[in-house]
Amino acid sequence: MCNVETLIPVGTEATVGFKINGKAVTAYPNETILAAARRHDFYIPTLCELADIDHTPGTCRVCLVEIQMPGQASTHMVTACNTPVKDGLAVETRTKKVRDMQKLQVELLMADHLQDCATCIRHGACELQDVAQFVGLKENRFFTPARVATREVDRSSPAMVRDMTKCIRCQRCVTVCRNYQEVDALVVTGTGLDTAIGLRHGKNQKDSTCVTCGQCVLVCPTGALAEKDETDRVLDYIYDPEITTVLQFAPAIRVGFGEEFGMAPGTNVEGQIIAASRKLGVDIVLDTNFGADVVIMEEGTELLHRLGERKRPTITSCCPAWINFAEVHYPELLPLLSSTRSPQAVVGAIAKSYLPVKMGLDPKKIRVISIMPCTAKKDEIVRPQLGEDDMPNVDVVLTTREFARLLKREGLDLRTIEPSTFDNPYMSEYSGAGVIFGTTGGVMEAALRTVYKVVNGKELDKIELTQLRGFEGVRSATVDLGGNIGEVKIAMAHGLGETRALMEAIKAGEADFDFIEIMACPGGCVDGGGTLRSKKQYLPYALKRRETMFGIDRAAKVRQSHNNEQVKALYRDFLGSPNSEKAHHLLHTFYTDRKAELELTVKEIWGEIKMSTMVY
Amino acid sequence: MAQVVYGVWDGVVHDYRQGKAAEGATPPDLKDFEVFDDNNPIRAFVADRGFFVFDEKVNLLDTFWQYLSKAADESCGKCTPCRMGTVLVRDALGAMRRGLDGDLDLDGIAAMSEQMRATSLCGLGQSCGTALVKAIEAFRDEFEAELARKQPARAQHAMSYMTAPCIEACPSKVNVPRYIDYIRDGKPEHSLGVILQKYPMAATCSRVCVRFCEAACRRKMVDEAVGIKILKRYVAEYQTGPHPLVFSKDMIAHVLPEDQRVAVIGAGPAGVSCAYHLLMRGYHVDIFEAQGEAGGMAAIGIPSYRLPKDVLLNEMNAITNLGGRFFFNQRLGTDFSVDDLMKRGYKSVFLALGCQEGTKMGCDNEDTSLVGYESGIGFLLKVHDHVAGIKPHPIDGEVVVVGGGNVAMDCVRSAVRMGAKKVHLVYRRTEADMPADREEVVAAHDEGIEFHVLTNPVSIVSEDGKVVGVKLTKMEQTEVDAKGRRNVRPIPGSEYVMPCSVVIAAIGQQVDTGSVKPEDGVEMSKWNWVVADKESLATSRPGVFAGGDCYLGPSTLIAAMANGLKAARNIDDYLRLGSTRFFPRSRIRQILEKNKLFSNDCIEVPVKNEYRVHHPELSPEVRKTMFGEVEQIISSEDAYKESMRCMRCYRIYSVITEHSIPEGAA
Ligand SMILES: Cc1cc2nc3c(=O)[nH]c(=O)nc-3n(C[C@H](O)[C@H](O)[C@H](O)COP(=O)(O)OP(=O)(O)OC[C@H]3O[C@@H](n4cnc5c(N)ncnc54)[C@H](O)[C@@H]3O)c2cc1C
Ligand code: SF4
Ligand code: SF4
Ligand code: SF4
Ligand code: SF4
Ligand code: SF4
Ligand code: FES
Repeated sequence: MCNVETLIPVGTEATVGFKINGKAVTAYPNETILAAARRHDFYIPTLCELADIDHTPGTCRVCLVEIQMPGQASTHMVTACNTPVKDGLAVETRTKKVRDMQKLQVELLMADHLQDCATCIRHGACELQDVAQFVGLKENRFFTPARVATREVDRSSPAMVRDMTKCIRCQRCVTVCRNYQEVDALVVTGTGLDTAIGLRHGKNQKDSTCVTCGQCVLVCPTGALAEKDETDRVLDYIYDPEITTVLQFAPAIRVGFGEEFGMAPGTNVEGQIIAASRKLGVDIVLDTNFGADVVIMEEGTELLHRLGERKRPTITSCCPAWINFAEVHYPELLPLLSSTRSPQAVVGAIAKSYLPVKMGLDPKKIRVISIMPCTAKKDEIVRPQLGEDDMPNVDVVLTTREFARLLKREGLDLRTIEPSTFDNPYMSEYSGAGVIFGTTGGVMEAALRTVYKVVNGKELDKIELTQLRGFEGVRSATVDLGGNIGEVKIAMAHGLGETRALMEAIKAGEADFDFIEIMACPGGCVDGGGTLRSKKQYLPYALKRRETMFGIDRAAKVRQSHNNEQVKALYRDFLGSPNSEKAHHLLHTFYTDRKAELELTVKEIWGEIKMSTMVY
Repeated sequence: MAQVVYGVWDGVVHDYRQGKAAEGATPPDLKDFEVFDDNNPIRAFVADRGFFVFDEKVNLLDTFWQYLSKAADESCGKCTPCRMGTVLVRDALGAMRRGLDGDLDLDGIAAMSEQMRATSLCGLGQSCGTALVKAIEAFRDEFEAELARKQPARAQHAMSYMTAPCIEACPSKVNVPRYIDYIRDGKPEHSLGVILQKYPMAATCSRVCVRFCEAACRRKMVDEAVGIKILKRYVAEYQTGPHPLVFSKDMIAHVLPEDQRVAVIGAGPAGVSCAYHLLMRGYHVDIFEAQGEAGGMAAIGIPSYRLPKDVLLNEMNAITNLGGRFFFNQRLGTDFSVDDLMKRGYKSVFLALGCQEGTKMGCDNEDTSLVGYESGIGFLLKVHDHVAGIKPHPIDGEVVVVGGGNVAMDCVRSAVRMGAKKVHLVYRRTEADMPADREEVVAAHDEGIEFHVLTNPVSIVSEDGKVVGVKLTKMEQTEVDAKGRRNVRPIPGSEYVMPCSVVIAAIGQQVDTGSVKPEDGVEMSKWNWVVADKESLATSRPGVFAGGDCYLGPSTLIAAMANGLKAARNIDDYLRLGSTRFFPRSRIRQILEKNKLFSNDCIEVPVKNEYRVHHPELSPEVRKTMFGEVEQIISSEDAYKESMRCMRCYRIYSVITEHSIPEGAA
């Protein structure tokens, strides 16, 4: 599912001989000119194509090359991304005709593209800008504002903005949502100049079947799809003297942030983030890992109860895109979900209840800011069931990308910041178990470490459950928990495509599991929909980030959630025990059936059909 | 004969103006090109392959503006050059024809058109700039002269038509690439909506259609035809599946007064489709059906392993939801006559009687009362009753089926399922000559049917009123006939007897005897089919129309449904205007067809092979024993994949005429 390695070439042997710019090269049968050119290090500009998700819709028409078929005198312009090589083919990538046509193509793309680059969320990291520069675009003769004036900008979702004035109709988003996440929430709407991307059944993003996982944002080459930017709101909180700002950041942030500032992918920048947050003026810096440890205490206890009652399987609940997916697409399975809130909500709830007690703060004046690798977490915090007395657990979520933007707005460069450490004595310590929450299988591993202790009264001998650490879309294992529990069957799925398959199996009664971990994003939170975008690549750093995480766990002094001293103190001084009434009130939640079945009429459909040889 | 004044076709420049004769070109021999409709000369014609001007005074800027306007309207907007290019070129020509400066000059227009031609994704963008590029290249002085006038051009009358090979091949002219596109877009309901514009029985069609479209599909030049039918099957789930699209009376734009009543006789595909279109046009429609259920041959003939019965029932809801009424067990010729209907106040009658009586083989001892003698149709009806649980019809012993069409295939495949010990197919020509669908023939082989080709029955062998065998003769091939098939003749002395308990004559059909009586005043042909006018489907009796198998002879579901629409259109015209109208789209098709103007271009650049997705089918061993549906619906993943294979081979054709073209539908 998640292609971290380079795509395997088509065919087995490079038996096709042809020429690129006069140089003889070989290709695999049915390989595209583009793929072969890349292997032989010839650059061809592309926009719509994205090899990592096997996407070559051929819509942008920028990847033009001039070809000559063997035995033919004439040449043809073709798109390199979807034209296969042929023996004896002569390919030219830089003739004047190619360059002129590529340039005109980009000019045509710009003709109905609102190029307000200075205000665009993608400025400076935009694939369209890059291509415009590559083709040497110097004028923009055809742009007419009226052409984009009526185009849709959908701000309905708390998580994401869909701005069709910037869409180049590459359809990468559709492919990721359809073939990888298998949510299939996106459709192509309109025809001609009105062509755009919309939500199924003409809904807005908020009311649609979209689960706000944000994977479409990761592949969009332009500023058309993006997170809803909330950096202004965070600055408002920070610079409000009345308000105490509490910032938490997710396990995955520290391993997926350095790239933005030119550091090697996968570098652990925890210390720099803490220091930068303080420099920003944040009052209290906490770690979502702490929340993860608390989640394990709650969820682990819940799991044991359910195992005792022979209720199976139990499914994790820490991923809000998965919660959306379950509520909208599989409401019949909601009773299987753990009721424990997500780590960010747990941190928020405790920061507005326990922390004020300990630190003498007014909870009403606290604002919790989460830094998350996730767009769905933005959606999560407005759930009415995640808050107490009109006080939401979390006030604002910034994705990794917004956090980078925020630092830049405040003139901070991560490379020149002296790393620091956590200093809050109540809610910032974390165990290795909390850290690995950020990668697929991590929640499961963390939970088993604690459940084992509860069942057996002693720690697991071999604490790293490497048998859970594969990277396949769905993995399953049998783990002996000993005691009165014995063997449990577990499964982990990452990516909603794999999740769907697993849910179908459960519905069909073909899945025999006790405990299931779901992460909506392929790879888990380290590759969440709110992580940094990579041009022309999908999830290129998944494995590096994961390795760093396991490294942090290995180096951690405490490696089990139940051994986290601050967690122990929390239960001792405030909550009592896991699943206590107070814990239940503050740290658990409920879910609602949001399935939308649509009855369409032929009349409605006919009203929308364009460009058919109509009869009515 | 229409005289070309100048033009370019397939790259050849034609110029027959005084003193300008182009070298090497011979005036094209264009048939039926003088007028478009009565007294309305064709002044110019533009297509993908080039253009012709027949009247020197034609304004080229306006002509190409008309053509590009259609292209810009139809551009699907997926790819860059066509989405933007068609609009820019159209607008530039539009300004120029009004005597203004466009955003592009002539060179700019030529460059943009070339960009569209050379770099667009699909057939529309690739073909809509070609004629213009060539025109500017060869007749630049014409354009410049028009521009120099700096005056608005006189308005020209025009009509444009967009089509594709698959559309043209389809009797109903369903916009195939459009419905495939809607699948790609992720909107299967809209895809179904496109089909429902043409006929109501999409779910049935998606299971049994003979697929003229796929036979014409251009994708065959790359690998295999696009799976047009399996895609239709996929979207038809939105007609009969758990969340079907809803038909309601409020779809009818203008409900006509109560007295605007039409009677449809026969509830088969032709009748149902005609009723549907009449209802949509506001008429009050009653359908009279001899049987106890709707669907015609689709219901009782086509076996349930290809078409489950509940699918049909679901489709008929469209008719009742739109206010149509079915009257079952009402047979023309027995229960009422055409005169009766007219007396009851129906303003028009549509005969959709089908061809439901088997034709005899004409061999010795062909006694239809013999136990074990069946006509193909008769047998399939028994199969229907057997499956529907109405009346069991067990078979033991061996079965011989005579014929090579789809009915014969249905007979052999049904006989296997009914428990026949062995099933033989006897056909007088070769297997390649069989008119049956190739896939049906293959399936029959798979299911163990024994084929005896170049074999013909001579007589039926019977004992005590029971069939015990057929005497067969071997045949040999002779000369080629007009259809390109070799004729056959018996080989003397090659006769032999094949023992069997059932012989089924599946060689042809006619209208039920006694349905149409002389006093109805409707002329019948020598095969006992209804005679009607090809264009209007009007019979010899005013106000009475006919279509489907009873007019065409045994044909296909889709041809019958196409007749239904055509009849509805003509009945509507007849009732509102007193006569039937001219239909510009049919006319332009006729011109294209007569002159073979459809592009015959090959695919010149490599295209990635993507072989087609196949129906999940059950294994032949399981298939043989069951009447449940054999072909299953494909997954959405496969549907998306298959839909991506369509190359959208759209082409646009425009005519410029002297006078305005009268409005007609479709
Ligand atoms: C066994 C078999 C298999 C076939 N398989 C295919 C296939 O796979 N694909 C395909 O495209 N086509 C197939 N066909 C052909 C297709 O079914 C017909 O072409 C099509 O149904 C014709 O439609 P129709 O409406 O003209 O006539 P019919 O479907 O024959 O309907 C005529 C209707 O009129 C009624 N009727 C007849 N006489 C009277 C009367 N006097 N009064 C009142 N009602 C009357 C009949 O009961 C019937 O309901 C098959 C046909 C048969 C027989
Ligand atoms: S998407 Fe790219 S080109 Fe478009 S406005 Fe944004 S930065 Fe500029
Ligand atoms: S956020 Fe996820 S579910 Fe929503 S459209 Fe994007 S990929 Fe699909
Ligand atoms: S929204 Fe983005 S990914 Fe989707 S089609 Fe538009 S530009 Fe491409
Ligand atoms: S109609 Fe064809 S050429 Fe035109 S925009 Fe669509 S894909 Fe491109
Ligand atoms: S490829 Fe598509 S448009 Fe072309 S003939 Fe086949 S179905 Fe029709
Ligand atoms: S990259 Fe090839 S058409 Fe877009």
